[in-house]
Amino acid sequence: MCDEQDLFGRQLPLTNGPANSRVRPAIVTIGRRRRCQRCQQWLLPTDCLPNQAWYCRQCLQLGRLTSHHKLYTIPEPNRFAPVAAPILTWLGKLSPMQGTAATGILDLVRQQRHQLLWAVTGAGKTEIVYPALAWALAQHWRVAWVSPRVDVCLELAPRLQQAFCHVPQALLHGKQTRPYHYRQLTLCTTHQLLRFQSAFDWIIVDEVDAFPLATSPLLQTAIATAQKPTGSHLYLTATPGEQLQRQVRQKKLAVTYLPLRYHGVLLPQIEVRLIWRWRERLTKGRLAPRLIRQLQDYRQRGQRFLLFVPHVLDLKPVAQALQRAGVTGGITVHAADGERAAKVQAMRDRTIPFLITTTILERGVTFPDIAVVVLGGDDAVFSTAALVQIAGRVGRHQDFPTGEVTVYCHSQSRRVRLAQRMIAQLNRQGKRLGGRRQ
Amino acid sequence: MSKCLLCHQPLRPPMTLAQFWCWQPLPVPVVCQRCIQQFDRISATHCPQCGRQQTKMTVCHDCDRWGDQRLQNHAVYTYNEAMKAYMQQYKFQGDYALRQVMMAPLQQALMRETYDVLVPIPVNQETWQARGFNQVTGWLRNQPFQQVLLVTADHKEQPQSAKTRQQRLLTQQPFSLAPNAARVLAGKQILLLDDVYTTGRTLRHAATQIYLGGAKAVTSLTLAR
Ligand SMILES: [Zn+2]
Ligand SMILES: [Zn+2]
Ligand SMILES: [Zn+2]
Repeated sequence: MCDEQDLFGRQLPLTNGPANSRVRPAIVTIGRRRRCQRCQQWLLPTDCLPNQAWYCRQCLQLGRLTSHHKLYTIPEPNRFAPVAAPILTWLGKLSPMQGTAATGILDLVRQQRHQLLWAVTGAGKTEIVYPALAWALAQHWRVAWVSPRVDVCLELAPRLQQAFCHVPQALLHGKQTRPYHYRQLTLCTTHQLLRFQSAFDWIIVDEVDAFPLATSPLLQTAIATAQKPTGSHLYLTATPGEQLQRQVRQKKLAVTYLPLRYHGVLLPQIEVRLIWRWRERLTKGRLAPRLIRQLQDYRQRGQRFLLFVPHVLDLKPVAQALQRAGVTGGITVHAADGERAAKVQAMRDRTIPFLITTTILERGVTFPDIAVVVLGGDDAVFSTAALVQIAGRVGRHQDFPTGEVTVYCHSQSRRVRLAQRMIAQLNRQGKRLGGRRQ
Repeated sequence: MSKCLLCHQPLRPPMTLAQFWCWQPLPVPVVCQRCIQQFDRISATHCPQCGRQQTKMTVCHDCDRWGDQRLQNHAVYTYNEAMKAYMQQYKFQGDYALRQVMMAPLQQALMRETYDVLVPIPVNQETWQARGFNQVTGWLRNQPFQQVLLVTADHKEQPQSAKTRQQRLLTQQPFSLAPNAARVLAGKQILLLDDVYTTGRTLRHAATQIYLGGAKAVTSLTLAR
């Protein structure tokens, strides 16, 4: 049996629920097809088990739903204890520009409009949302802060805990071992939203363009289902994809721009350098002399840097080639690296001078006073959004607001050009707001 | 375009010109090359009893301890990380569609075995109801088999808390013979089929019953060891 509170605004497969819960079948037949009621995806004609039950493959990670299951829910009652004042316990201060954006967001939330905050990398977009979130919590709204990426959630959890220290919060993700609790503020991965139904008055979707929300109808359904019919959502991004930009043009999404970083210095622009057939050269254990010279220069000046490569398999040969050329002291790290956290920490602690890495470090990881070099920027793994994010690692700190971003390519690439164009466009807008070159 | 069942990347079916002209039915791939290569095939040098991958063809330490309770098992793959993840999703999450991943490799392995009758290890009624399928027969395409074993006691998948009781139960014979068993088994060479060889206890219990049913010889095949 489960506690009544556990069902508020949720949709859970149970064998029986409290008397006031509502029940519906987990899989329904519509015409000749079957549809999962948790994730709203259609089943295939082959998704039938030998015991005659139908099952949904799309939301399997949350525990298999079959046509033998029923989903239980209790309509969200917003039954929260009043929060002790002040709701917002964050001690920082917003810059005038951040303040303007924060007010814009608050106005739109009051009107319950769907909206997008398009803020450059390093604009401090989390803090910009705080005033609106404090207002929403004061209205007894139930709020979810979600991201497609679990690392974004994990990084955010302690910050939200500090900024709203009197507000009970829940953190949900696939590897969470702590039991679920009914809380006014829920921080979770977008996947976890599939366990909710008409629960949230407001959903904040962080890094909305990050894999895999953009391409996943399932996750868009999750947001729509978890949100109350009267509810609204806020997308946060530095690099909105084509789909979001279209919704803005069609006025389906209200937008707040923040084209300038909090320290007022413009974004570093990408410098492209062509190195012909670098990959063939690498199979012979060598790298382009221009690249070597640049990195040697960084090492001599004590300039710390991140070197991005397209694939995990490129890490080792590049590291060896650098070693041979006398560029030493760096280490490699990638997404599935068991020591990833420790290596990133070593870079933060300045015990190592550079990291060779794959795109996984593009978001959320910040180091003050860093230069960025991309090898093979024309490779398809580097989307325009990823390149803008990678460039956005540079110059984020108040004391080091500038820096170099160099992208080495075999040939000119559309994605790289679009990334340069997006940065230039943001900088033009930033300049109008008084942005400086340095 | 169809996608790889394991990594969801689009599949590009390899088609050669020869296949095209020969008008052969194309094998429809369900997993990509990269994913299938994660599974580690057991080579010709393995333990002659349990089938585990070794550098020598001698009886391994584990099998030694079984004494004269001999068994002759072959296994297709080692139980590595990829196999563990696969079994997790297929068997425990219950993603029945993943049976297709192992259909072709198992079919090839079955063709290399000599036997008269194929007997899959059954799952108990409770598991069958909850899972909705038997993970072993799920891998069979058109190969005929005989379900002559019945589960009388729970023989695996018990919670850790029931450890002492489990140990007691495991020494107890979990299988019985179906009513038609004697007719099917008499004088025949039987091949038992199971998912993973872990301790060998399940297969040995099954083999004991099959011999009691009048079989001439019993060997076994598992997907993993
Ligand atoms: Zn589903
Ligand atoms: Zn694959
Ligand atoms: Zn052995």
